[in-house]
Amino acid sequence: MAEKGNTNMEHLGGVVRLREEHQKVVQDCESRIQHWKKVLADYEALDDRLRTLPDQLCYDIMVPFGPLAFMPGKLVHTNEVTVLLGDNWFAKCSAKQAQKIVEHRMKHVGSQLDDVTKTMKNFEARVGFAKDLESMSANTGKYVDIREEVGNYDSPATKGKQRIAHKPNSKPKMDVVFGLKEEDEGESGDTGSRKGVMTEEELWARLDELERLEELQDEQDRLSDNADMNGEDTSSSSSEEEEEEKEADAALPVNGLSLKPNRSSVPHSTQPLTERKEEDYEEEEDGSCLPTIFFSHTVEPKKVRINTGKNTTLKFSERKEQKEHSKRKKKNGHSNGHSHHELHKITTPADIYRLFVDVKNGEPIPRKSILKSRSRENSVCSDTSESSAADFEERRMIGRSFSHDEMTHSDTSDGITEEDSPTVMPLQTPSRFEAFSGTVVEKDPMPTAVPHLTIVPPALPTILERKQEEVAPDVPPPEQAPKRVSKFKAARLQQK
Amino acid sequence: MAEAIQKKLKAEVEKYTQTQKDVSKSVSARQKLETQMAENNIVKEELDLLDSSNTVFKLIGPVLVKQDLDEAKATVAKRLEYINGEIQRYETLLKDYHKKSEQQREVLTSLQQDLQKAQGLTPGKV
Repeated sequence: MAEKGNTNMEHLGGVVRLREEHQKVVQDCESRIQHWKKVLADYEALDDRLRTLPDQLCYDIMVPFGPLAFMPGKLVHTNEVTVLLGDNWFAKCSAKQAQKIVEHRMKHVGSQLDDVTKTMKNFEARVGFAKDLESMSANTGKYVDIREEVGNYDSPATKGKQRIAHKPNSKPKMDVVFGLKEEDEGESGDTGSRKGVMTEEELWARLDELERLEELQDEQDRLSDNADMNGEDTSSSSSEEEEEEKEADAALPVNGLSLKPNRSSVPHSTQPLTERKEEDYEEEEDGSCLPTIFFSHTVEPKKVRINTGKNTTLKFSERKEQKEHSKRKKKNGHSNGHSHHELHKITTPADIYRLFVDVKNGEPIPRKSILKSRSRENSVCSDTSESSAADFEERRMIGRSFSHDEMTHSDTSDGITEEDSPTVMPLQTPSRFEAFSGTVVEKDPMPTAVPHLTIVPPALPTILERKQEEVAPDVPPPEQAPKRVSKFKAARLQQK
Repeated sequence: MAEAIQKKLKAEVEKYTQTQKDVSKSVSARQKLETQMAENNIVKEELDLLDSSNTVFKLIGPVLVKQDLDEAKATVAKRLEYINGEIQRYETLLKDYHKKSEQQREVLTSLQQDLQKAQGLTPGKV
């Protein structure tokens, strides 16, 4: 701490000196501006004089005779003026020509004045920055350090294996292995052992976990948007986000929204708990270099993430995004109509899938990824392009009901989910709950008793396929498993 | 040993300061030339605007000497060229001085290092 204090003092000294230097330049500019203004005023007076001079043939004046005496005299040849052109060159001109020359010069002076004013403004800005920097390093001022403790969460049982941290702007590979679901299908839902066996609760937990990952991404988007709105550089804000913890330097203005997601929690994402609360932080004056705000995550599995496949998708990510967009927009005073434009912005690979959708029956249907093999179409695959609108709606509602269900589990609820809740249809849910709750849409004529997987338009289309692989009770899961085993599932199988 | 190095160091430092002075001199001379060039440009423009009806004078000491307009124009143009040439010359000079100062700086640093080594040794010896 002492060392830090020392370096702070050094920084402080340096910053102070910087500010002083800037200040000097600013003062210099000011004096130059004064000078040029005076010159300009002189030329204007001269201009006036030249205009009025030829009015009379001669004037009666008091001629200065040395420094102390005057003598009455006459000013004649009022139209003839000898002008200094510069560098000891003179020219005899008429008053009008002289006026033209004066105009020229005034223009020149004006441009000089503009240049100097610009420089001065520039340096004034720099002085401001230096001042801010100074105040920051002196632990004063309104800049605060936002820190989040990465604790070892007390919650037992990491569900599934530890996750690798993803690169922050890439879409995390949601290869959640839900293969165990196939085995659990016979089991009942709500409670189960926490280790290895994927019960429904774990399922939800996993869902939340993955949901959180996408939340992180959304947060990034939001943050970068916020950064944009704050007039900051998006890249700088996103690069800031990529730091594990924030560094004090850049003036990161504390508005209620610009919090950095704690990246280190991503690998611990096995805990389904973490939910960022935007307004929920405590401000602490830390003994360290900056006043620090510590905030902690609140436990809240909230959104419905029906994760049912190797490719998890945030189920209502589109919804969520819309809501977040609209929230963001509202906060910035725009109408919700603009959220549409937000949606068209591509920041992550997921956005591509979200945007490039086929619209069928008035509903956007995600396109299949060209990288995915078609072989699964013959099996229990869903036909993403042919799902009916009704089915889609149904699935959506189911998803929503899931979300509602989720909320009932959670301690706190996020504002966004709550927006979802009104549309919940809780009644549907319980009856449909099975080990995997989702709807499967399949090409093959399957009995409608098979629960339908929910399609999320913004989701990767392949999710559907994968969901179906793992879900359908009618479909022999073991057949599917060998074909496509995600690493999570594989790991779990190995663990077993 | 250390003393010899110190002497060398002093000599080098002097040379370095000399070079620095040369650099600053040439820089200031160049600046003067710049202003003169600007002024002559203005004069040239003004002369172009004038016509033969106006008489042109040149101030030589306390005397205003009448000049021909064309002559004046030619003179100013020549002066401008001269100034430009001078500026070029001074620029090359400046570069040379700069290089020299860099070299001398390097020499200085190496000498300093030697000195430190020597001084480091001598306390050990003693």
